[in-house]
Amino acid sequence: MSVSRDDVLRIAQLAELDVADEALAEIADQMSRILDYVAQLSAIPTNGSVKTFVPGPDAIRFRPDEVAPAPLAFGPEDFAPAFKEGFFVVPKLGQFE
Amino acid sequence: MSDAKAVADRLVKAKRLNALLTPPKDLRKSLLAQAAAARPTGVLYGMPVAVKDNICTLEFTTTCGSKILEGYQSPYEATAITKLKAAGALIAGKTNCDEFAMGSSTEYSAYGRVVHPLDKTRVPGGSSGGSAALVAAGVVPAALGSETGGSVRQPAAFCGVVGIKPTYGRVSRYGLVAFGSSLDQIGVFGRSVHDAARVLSVISGRDPRDATCEDRDPLRLPTVPESLQGFVIGLPREYFPPELDPAVRRACDRAIRMMKELGAAVREVSLPHTPYAVPTYYVIAPAEASSNLARYDGVRYGPRFDGNTDLRGLYRATRGQGFGPEVRRRILVGTYVLSAGYYDAYYRRAQQMRALIAQDFRNVFDRGVDLLFTPTVPSPAFKAGEKLSDPIAMYMSDIFTVTANLAGLPAISLPIGRVKGLPIGGQLIGQAFLEDEMLEAAYALERVVPATDDA
Repeated sequence: MSVSRDDVLRIAQLAELDVADEALAEIADQMSRILDYVAQLSAIPTNGSVKTFVPGPDAIRFRPDEVAPAPLAFGPEDFAPAFKEGFFVVPKLGQFE
Repeated sequence: MSDAKAVADRLVKAKRLNALLTPPKDLRKSLLAQAAAARPTGVLYGMPVAVKDNICTLEFTTTCGSKILEGYQSPYEATAITKLKAAGALIAGKTNCDEFAMGSSTEYSAYGRVVHPLDKTRVPGGSSGGSAALVAAGVVPAALGSETGGSVRQPAAFCGVVGIKPTYGRVSRYGLVAFGSSLDQIGVFGRSVHDAARVLSVISGRDPRDATCEDRDPLRLPTVPESLQGFVIGLPREYFPPELDPAVRRACDRAIRMMKELGAAVREVSLPHTPYAVPTYYVIAPAEASSNLARYDGVRYGPRFDGNTDLRGLYRATRGQGFGPEVRRRILVGTYVLSAGYYDAYYRRAQQMRALIAQDFRNVFDRGVDLLFTPTVPSPAFKAGEKLSDPIAMYMSDIFTVTANLAGLPAISLPIGRVKGLPIGGQLIGQAFLEDEMLEAAYALERVVPATDDA
């Protein structure tokens, strides 16, 4: 198995995602199966000079740097979970490892 | 002008499909208001179009089939919606889908699975399963879906309707909730090629609000051709493997014979990197998803699942409880393949493979092939629950569709027959921004193929 329970915990921390203890074994198993499956990509030779693919013939182009307002039908006070005096309200920062 | 009340009634009657997320009362009220305000000169005047729940609308909530956006009302609407309304169409509610469009069966919605309209024990495909089911059940003539790896064409094939995935950059994605940004496109379902194509034509074209949308005029619809004389249609041998479902093969053979009878030149071709398409996709799509879905943190919008801890605890609790199993899995896989030490082995490799897959298509098209014909899915609709415990088996359902997304090409699925009452889809893959050619061939094939006969 390529992914251990500790790997899942480490990745979950990077992804800011709570994973229940009882789900760890199943997630580790499924992630391992997916990663083992996609690992076949490393078995085939690709020329190191192969460029990254960008879809569309010229999908991303420079354009004039003009501010064009996109008005909202209503403001964040109507869709934020907690909003006060122009700010999103969050709990205290706490300890970041 | 179709009667907005009748449409609302049909939508309510289709409740057993669980295809619609909009409450019937809200829908009825909105449809009547929209009908009163619709532009009578618009080319889609009065046409009800259902919309996948990952496309932002002002009329209805946008939840992406997720608990993490439960009750979310977008303060703006997608450009595709604005264009539909300007053409006189009615936005006929939001359709159920796999959570954040991640899935191939519409079983991964936080709001329950969508039922196949012809067989309640089966799935309608996904992720745009609600849109496909409503069109197949005759509730609406057309619907919007979205594609990242086949999420319009695969359910279209399973449900026996037409599904179009346009070229990357053909339709604005402003207001489409992002999943895999280098792959995502809004797509269209229709009961016929023409219904789907005219909706596509309306929503296509430039949009200054989406930098990845090409600066082009809207798609012009071709006329129905008398024959396929002059068309060279390639059959990629990798899409007809020995293990292909025999009924799917028979239906494809029949469609190929008919295209020949219409005058098309048909030749076998090879897209040698096809076997690597699904693994490539399942590195790139989760990687992009893990980044795109970082925005759901319980701070700015959507519900907050635990406000009593510190900020980091809030993020983790909200995301841990708000996301379902497949989304969690993809965020974790995506984070893994992008993490230090693994990036080159997975992500860079997948990007290189993607370039090779796109090159395969260019090689074939450069040798005079106009279009490719393939089965859309290797089998007809599978049973609900059948693939839920095996993510890889579920992913393999996209094997013939992901390549067009990886290469940014337009593709269409249309019904080409049935087996034991279940629809089978055939796929045409076109060259970038040559949807008109692809639609011409689809029009011609649609006219002759016995779409509801057993293959």
